[in-house]
Amino acid sequence: MRKSARISSRRGAGELESEVLAALWAARRPLTTAAVQGAVDSELAYNTVQTILARLYEKGLVERSAEGRRHLYRPIKGAEELAAEQMQALLHRGPNRQSVLQRFATSLSEEDAEALRAMLKLRRRRR
Amino acid sequence: MTVSVYVPVALSVLVAVISRLMAARLSPTRGTVIAVVGAAVLCAAGTTWALVLLALTLLGFTQLAVHEATERGVVLLQPVPGVVGVLAALALVFGLVRVVRVARARWATRRELRELCRSCAPGELAVVPVAEPHAFAVPGRPGKVLVTQGLLALLDGKERRVVLAHERAHLTGRHHGLRATAEVCAAVNPMLVLVREAVAFLVERNADEHAATVSGSREVAARALSKAALAEATERKHAVLGFIACSVTARVAALHEAPPRPGRLLPGGFVVLGLGTTIAAVQATMAFYRLIHWLWLS
Repeated sequence: MRKSARISSRRGAGELESEVLAALWAARRPLTTAAVQGAVDSELAYNTVQTILARLYEKGLVERSAEGRRHLYRPIKGAEELAAEQMQALLHRGPNRQSVLQRFATSLSEEDAEALRAMLKLRRRRR
Repeated sequence: MTVSVYVPVALSVLVAVISRLMAARLSPTRGTVIAVVGAAVLCAAGTTWALVLLALTLLGFTQLAVHEATERGVVLLQPVPGVVGVLAALALVFGLVRVVRVARARWATRRELRELCRSCAPGELAVVPVAEPHAFAVPGRPGKVLVTQGLLALLDGKERRVVLAHERAHLTGRHHGLRATAEVCAAVNPMLVLVREAVAFLVERNADEHAATVSGSREVAARALSKAALAEATERKHAVLGFIACSVTARVAALHEAPPRPGRLLPGGFVVLGLGTTIAAVQATMAFYRLIHWLWLS
């Protein structure tokens, strides 16, 4: 337990950048620094989040607008439509081609899905 | 040659069956995966070489040897029947076709993925505005993690960390290479399809364990995986199941248990079996060489 806690607090800057960027994309609306902090991990220091947002801004990955004295951040969408189209095309290839994609979660049969749902519900109740 | 030439085939079956039965019980360390892939490579190489030797008997060695033997008054141990030689040659051609097919499919997908990455933002993470929940790692220098916006919106901060850590583990562990190797082995020797599936499963388990460590909670890792799998299941109408069906369920169950203890015995066993095919192939080659030597040089 101690070991894993140590590892999680030692995440590199690049990993945190990805997490912040992921949180901004997930939100689907511009976020303040405090909101980003809440969305990523409330144990993260506010200053750290601010630094990471500044770095992402310098890299041109997020844009910011001023709202009063605060900044609002949102991810920059580049060639998003092209990327979306390319991904859809990839996902609808035959199973032969699919094996190359290392998916996070492969598809489930109906019974497995049912078992998984039950497991999730059980855990939620226990918590 | 008459016995040892068939040993690689028998050992491949053994490796395949053991990997099928033991995949869920092996501790998914990188060493384990490498041992299993190594065994697959040795089995594939051993069987291919055995097939080459068997196919070579078609060139008329058998008849020649039988003829010589009767002339010299020597009794030969069962020579290779002609039909086995034909089957071996056919299996070799079939294997070659399958390897080419696998290589072309991989190549095409890799090219498409690279194009996709080019239209994405720079950096380690690229988010694609697609509603379907998907995440995958794209190998390269540097590698990239592709996630759809749909998946990110589904998860909370800690669960997103699990997904990112999981994909990153694929990149840093060079899992694509290991899986590709296992796939080529399975193309060469269809008995090794079970090993390929076991490698795919072990690699996912390895990344899951890494993600659980990074997120600091096996519970969160299991939840992220369940959520993503369920969302994907409702999204897709027709499920394509691997040989190790319910692998996601097995992965979630493994995360709900204590972290696996690393074991050396089983991975070692895989390597030993793989080496067995090599030894048998070498023996068969020596017997073949002796036969030729006996026919022409004595």
